[in-house]
Order: sequence, then structure tokens, then C-alpha cells
Amino acid sequence: MSQKYRFPEGLYADIRIEENCTAQLVKFNGELVRDKMQTEAGALIRVYDGKLWYTTSTNELSEIQKELDALAELATPNPDIFEDPALKLLEVNTDERLQYEDRKLENIERERFLRVLDHYAGLCEAENAPEKTTWAATINGEYLKKSFYSAKGSAITYDYQLCSAGAWCTFVVDGQPTEGGRQFFGVVPEDLFGNEDIVKAVFARYIDYAKNAVPIEPGEYTCILSPIATAMFAHESFGHKSEADYMLNDKVLRDEWVMGKKVGSDLVTIVDSGDLPNHGYVPYDDEGTKARETKLITNGVLTGRLHDSNSAATLAEELTGNCRAQDYGRSPVVRMTNTFLLGGKDSFEDIVADTKDGIYVYAVSDGTGNSTFVLNATVCYRIRDGKICEPVRVRMLTGSVFQTLFDIDRVGSDFTMFNEFVCGKMGQSVRVSAGGPSIRVKKLQVS
Amino acid sequence: MAKITEKHSALSKVGKYTFEENKPKAFERKNTTESSYRVYEDGKVGIFYHWGQMDDEEGFAKAVAVPDRARPYPFEPENGGTRSRDKTECTVTDRELMEMGDAYMEYLTSNYPDFIFAGDVKAEWMRQTLTNSLGTDFSNTDFAVSAGFRFKHRNSRDLMDGYFSFSLRKPDDGTVFRTMADLYLANFGTPAEIPEEIILDMQYYGLAGSLAGELNAEALALGTSRLAGKIGEKVFADDFSLVHDAGDKECWFSRFWDGEGSVLPEDKLVLVENGVIKTGYSDKRVAAKYNVPYTRTAAHNYSDLTSPGGLNLRIPRSEKTVKELLAGRYAVIPVSATSSPADANGDTSLVLTTSLLWDGERVVGRLPEFKVKANFFDMFGKDFIGVGSDDPIYNDKQILIRVYRVK
Repeated sequence: MSQKYRFPEGLYADIRIEENCTAQLVKFNGELVRDKMQTEAGALIRVYDGKLWYTTSTNELSEIQKELDALAELATPNPDIFEDPALKLLEVNTDERLQYEDRKLENIERERFLRVLDHYAGLCEAENAPEKTTWAATINGEYLKKSFYSAKGSAITYDYQLCSAGAWCTFVVDGQPTEGGRQFFGVVPEDLFGNEDIVKAVFARYIDYAKNAVPIEPGEYTCILSPIATAMFAHESFGHKSEADYMLNDKVLRDEWVMGKKVGSDLVTIVDSGDLPNHGYVPYDDEGTKARETKLITNGVLTGRLHDSNSAATLAEELTGNCRAQDYGRSPVVRMTNTFLLGGKDSFEDIVADTKDGIYVYAVSDGTGNSTFVLNATVCYRIRDGKICEPVRVRMLTGSVFQTLFDIDRVGSDFTMFNEFVCGKMGQSVRVSAGGPSIRVKKLQVS
Repeated sequence: MAKITEKHSALSKVGKYTFEENKPKAFERKNTTESSYRVYEDGKVGIFYHWGQMDDEEGFAKAVAVPDRARPYPFEPENGGTRSRDKTECTVTDRELMEMGDAYMEYLTSNYPDFIFAGDVKAEWMRQTLTNSLGTDFSNTDFAVSAGFRFKHRNSRDLMDGYFSFSLRKPDDGTVFRTMADLYLANFGTPAEIPEEIILDMQYYGLAGSLAGELNAEALALGTSRLAGKIGEKVFADDFSLVHDAGDKECWFSRFWDGEGSVLPEDKLVLVENGVIKTGYSDKRVAAKYNVPYTRTAAHNYSDLTSPGGLNLRIPRSEKTVKELLAGRYAVIPVSATSSPADANGDTSLVLTTSLLWDGERVVGRLPEFKVKANFFDMFGKDFIGVGSDDPIYNDKQILIRVYRVK
């Protein structure tokens, strides 16, 4: 096939071009403090000679061929380059998936953003609790068009768009601030209208929490995680351990996470898929690999992990479409996309009713994952005798991933996907989504 | 007001040599130009933000091309005159950078074969400029070489056990790297006991940043800061001060002007002095809106109006070294740790997954995983021990604070 670029002989090379548009408008206490729309375009060019990758990034798209030729000068041509085990695995795909061109961000009039912003500003202003001290309404949008061309013949273009809007208030009780609110997602601004009752209920919950939360006695508790807490748990506690670039020639980790090993309770199935229309949508990864569903854990048994071509070749496993970079200025590494713990059969009410003593983790802010994972909680409640009781101030939940996956003994039917997440690894942040149902964990450390 | 044009820009050149599992992986180059074109007229400003090369005339034209996006700006732009600061001390070629990286990795793999390493060495040059039609012509040029390595013991079940990094304006003969590597790794396998009194020894940027968040003049005025109503009060320890120092030679790539082109007298703003809250920090909008002191501290926002921020925070050093501050006690070096955000009461938790015990000169060994708690006010108050006069282990400023174990 004819190629858009002239690739150097005896070397592997690929080119990733990203064109994006972002919009952000924020009203803070009635004043429009952010109002911007910006576009950006750039490319990452990579050349590989079998020993070293040489990369450069540029904003001058007309200079790509020149940059590619200059990089090739640094590398050492290798007639057998395409016999490299990782390169042999690389797929050759040609596709164009432009789903959002007719409604892409840069063509959306500012007035349409402002109308949604004013809608959420109105919801904030309508909250008349005396504890409300500040409020902010937000609307954000992101459009990304990505193209990928490789020396093996791939030529892929796809786009992605997401808008979000939110309403946030800070409630000050006895001089102590508590911030609460909710963010909503859609493709165009008009998708974001509505949600009045949800926002009102969220504010009421945070006001109650600010006024009534009591300290928790640190210790070990049975915890019921809400769907968003489960989503973060799935991402942090296990998801990062499924990224195979951590274990290329690491015997201990390879033995620890050997396929077929029982790593959790029968109720646990965790999946990653870049092909879902969520915030981790990556139909082709940054090596041109087509997205697929990867079952990481199936009924408690380790059945998959996430790969780029190097890790797949090293571990003699298949590509999964998880090689991602933050932007055109970075080289890709193994990352999650849309990662979720599948729902079960139990209703949330039944799980609570079946819990004599514990903590209900309603909201979390962030987390980290190592052998000991951490979830930072923002709103929690005490559970006594099967009922949700007073709000409690929990800062942190911790557990061992090796144990906690086995300690999941109830899985709810209220599965939900969340687009709120941004994942950090090796200095790069990528958009991801995560999902899950309410789950019960027999014990977590709470402080 | 007559039309005033202004351009903020940053030109950067980065070379990075990366390693994965003890082997070279990539050599990466990144050259970027980032520009913000601003046109002020009749109390408004049009802003156009661009990555890449652009003719200035076109940039200014785009800044005024969308009138309904013009932002209210009822302030006078600055005429700061001409000032240029060049902090560079050397340059490093791509070849020299790769040789440096190879030497570092050779040292690590030869001396610490029980570990697996990944990381990079990086050389970054940056010139930031601000020019406007009133006559302002500012520039700041800087260059640094940095190195950062993740490490994992071959027997560890964790994805990584720790990380160390440093930056230098001028590469040395490898002493800084070798000293740091030895401190982190030589006694990593030696078990140590958690001391009764727990003193954390850390770089202070994160802590100082969270304190600065509470000193935003807008949050102070609105009452959402934990320090609201406390200007002029003594809140922290006698020997604790906090300064925004735009002239700090130990900061990399910092500008002496703020996001609105304002320059502080002597490049400094004292926020906390001997425990007393002296002022919040503001930009022009916040100072005018809330009738609070204008402190010339606007964050650099190339794509929109500014907001208060852009601080180079410095906690003045003690006259004592870290070892002298410890006075015979041990300190804990967090190697892999996660903290919770402070809750409404200012309480925070920290899980120290991996940490080292040391006496200010020598690492004794590795501590088991444990958890501590601290309080926002107390960290800079009764639990503040000081910032050492020297830079052991981090090759950078470090704070000592007392925290409390959670069983």
C-alpha cells in the first residue's frame, strides 16, 4: 500500500499525530473565572534499530518527514529489524473511525457551553444552606483526533470526545471546610442538562457530613465499598499489577502472578477493555494494536494481563492494546483503559442488611496501588446491625492486595462505570475509566 | 486604555535517556515553543495560546479575533523595564548525557546486583520571556541535568520498592549520584526498628504547597481556608517562616516575574514570619475584589486569566545541620509512601510502605511498613523541628517534622 510517510530502510519507525481541542469554563461564586478553548497539534516520531528507541516530538506537522529522517541518522540500520520479537508481534491495521467530526468541540458555539454552565451555576445558587461558603460550576470538553502510521503499514485515524459539567459547594462548619459536588458526562454540552435532583441530594449529603461526621476509631473493619470506591479499588489494588511492563524478567513477580493462579474470591472478575465508549476509549493503542477485552481475573483466577509489544514478546503472551502515552510529547508505556470489576447478584440493601458492624465507604478521592493499596476516603458511614448510621471521618483505607481480593464476600448488582478518573504512572497521566458494583470486603484497615 | 500587546513564551529543549530493567531503552528529544499572545484594550484582554512556531502578528491578530471570548481585565499591564537572568552554568551534549546515564547504570548494576532498576537521565534547557508594548522585556534562562531511578529488590513482591532523584545545574564527577545510590541501597536489606519518637525527614515542597493553598488570599477572604481570620496571629512555631522567593537559586526554571508581569521587591514575599501569618497572596483581580493587599503573585496561565499562585516556596533553613537538628535521634526517610488529604480538622494519615532509618549521616536500615498521623497546624507548629542547613541524602533542602504512629 502507499504510505503517507517515507520510512527509513533497515529501521522500524512509527508516527503518532494528535490534534486536540479543549474547552473549560468555570463560574466561581457567580464570576466567570475560566473561559477558554484551545487547540493543539503535535506528533511523536519514533525510530527503533533493535537496540534503542530514538524519539522526537514536534508541533510542526509539516516537518514530520524531516524529523523522521533526522532520527534515522542517529540509529544504526539493521537488515533483520523486522525479526525483532516485539516488532513481529505488532499488528498492521488500517482504519478510520471518526465518530465526532459532525459535533466536534471546536465547532460548538460558546453560548452552548455557557447555557450548561449557567444551569449548574443555578443549581449551586439554589442551595441555600447557611453553611455554603463558596460554589463553583464547571464545564469542560476534550476532543482528540489521533492518527498512527507505522513502517509495517498501519494507517489508523480515530477520534474521541467527552464533555463534563459539575456543581460544587464548600460548606464551612465550625471553621472547617468540606467540599462536595458531582460531575456529569456526555459528548456535547446538551447531554449535560438535568441532574437537578442528584445535585440537590449530593449537597444535602455533604452538608450533613460536614455537620455531623464523627471521628472513627482506627482499626480493622468490614467495609462496604460503593460502586465508585470499588472502581478505584479495582484500578489501584489490582489493575496496576496487571501491567506487564513491571515484570518483564522479574522472576518473583512472574511467579507471583502466574496465569491460572487463584488470586481472589470466586466472586471477583476484573476486565479491561479499550473499546468501550468511556473515558479510557482507545480503539487502537499507540503501537497501532486494536483494542480487545482482556479478562484479568475470571472468578478469582488470574487469566490475563496488560501488554505492549515488548512485554507481550518477553512473556510470550498476546497483545492487548494497552500501550498508551499521555500525549504526543511522550513515549507510550503499558496502561489501563476502561477497567472494571463485574457486578454480581446482591442488592445494595441486602448487603447492608447482612452487615452487623462495619463501614460504608460512600466516596473516595484518590488512591495508590502497591502490595499495600491505599484508598483515600471522603465520605463514610458507620454500619451497625444492618443499618447505615452516623457519618464518620475516615481518611484512609488500606489493605494487602494479596489478601483483599480473597476477602470480597458480597458483590452487588448495581454496577456503574465512572469517567472521573485520571491515572498516573511514570510521570504520565492518562484518561481512564473504572467501574464496579457495591462490594463487601471482610476486613480493611481504616484510619 | 490604548491597545497594549503582550507575549509570554517558553522555549524548551529536552534530551532524555531512559532505562528499563537495567538496560537502555530510548533516547528522547523534545523541543517545544509555547506562546501566549495577549491584547489589552478597554478593560478587556484577548488571549491566544499556541504550541509551536507562530508569527507574532498572526498571534496577536488571533488574540483579538473572537470578541466574545475577550476576558474582563480592568487593570493596567506592567511596564517592568528590561531584566534578564541567566542561571545556566553549562550545556551537555546528547552523547555526554548518554555516557552519564550508562555510567550511572553501570554503577548500580555492578554494586547492587540484587536490585532491578529503571529510570532516566535528562538534560533540560528553557528560556522563558515576557515582552509587551509598554516596554517590558524579561527573560529567564536555565539549564539542569536530572536523574531519577526506580529500584526493586529482586525478592520483592512489590512493583517497585523506591525511587531516588536529583538535579544539578552542572553535572559533577558522579559523587552526588553515587552518594545517593549508596545511602538508599547499601543497607536496604538490613532490618531496622521503628523508633518511639518518629521524625520524618523529607523534601518539603509538597508540605509547603499544601500550606500555601491555605494562604490563597481569595480562600482567606471567603473563609474556606483553615487560616481564615488568622492574619497577624501567631499560628506556627517560633522558628517557622515561609517565603515566596522568586530569586531562589535552588529552584529550577523559575521566573522572577509573575503571571501578570509583576516583580516583587527583592523578589521575595514573606507569608509566615516566626510563626505569625503575615499575609495571603493575591493577583490583581483578587486584591481588588476582596480589598486585600496586592502581593504580585499571579500564577502563569498562558491560556486564560491568572489566579493567585505561581509560588516558589522556601522555608528558611536552620543554622544547624540535619544531624545537629536530630541531636542523637533517628529520622525516617520515606521511600514509598502514600498520604491522605487533610480532613476538615487538618488531620492526615501517611502509609510508609518503604522507609529508611537514618541518623542524618548514615542509613541504619529499612523499616517495616507502618502508618503515621499528623495534623496540618502541628506540622508547622509544635511538631516542626527545622530545615537543615545542609542537603544530605536528597541533595536538596529537607524538613524534619514529628509525626505519630497509628497502630
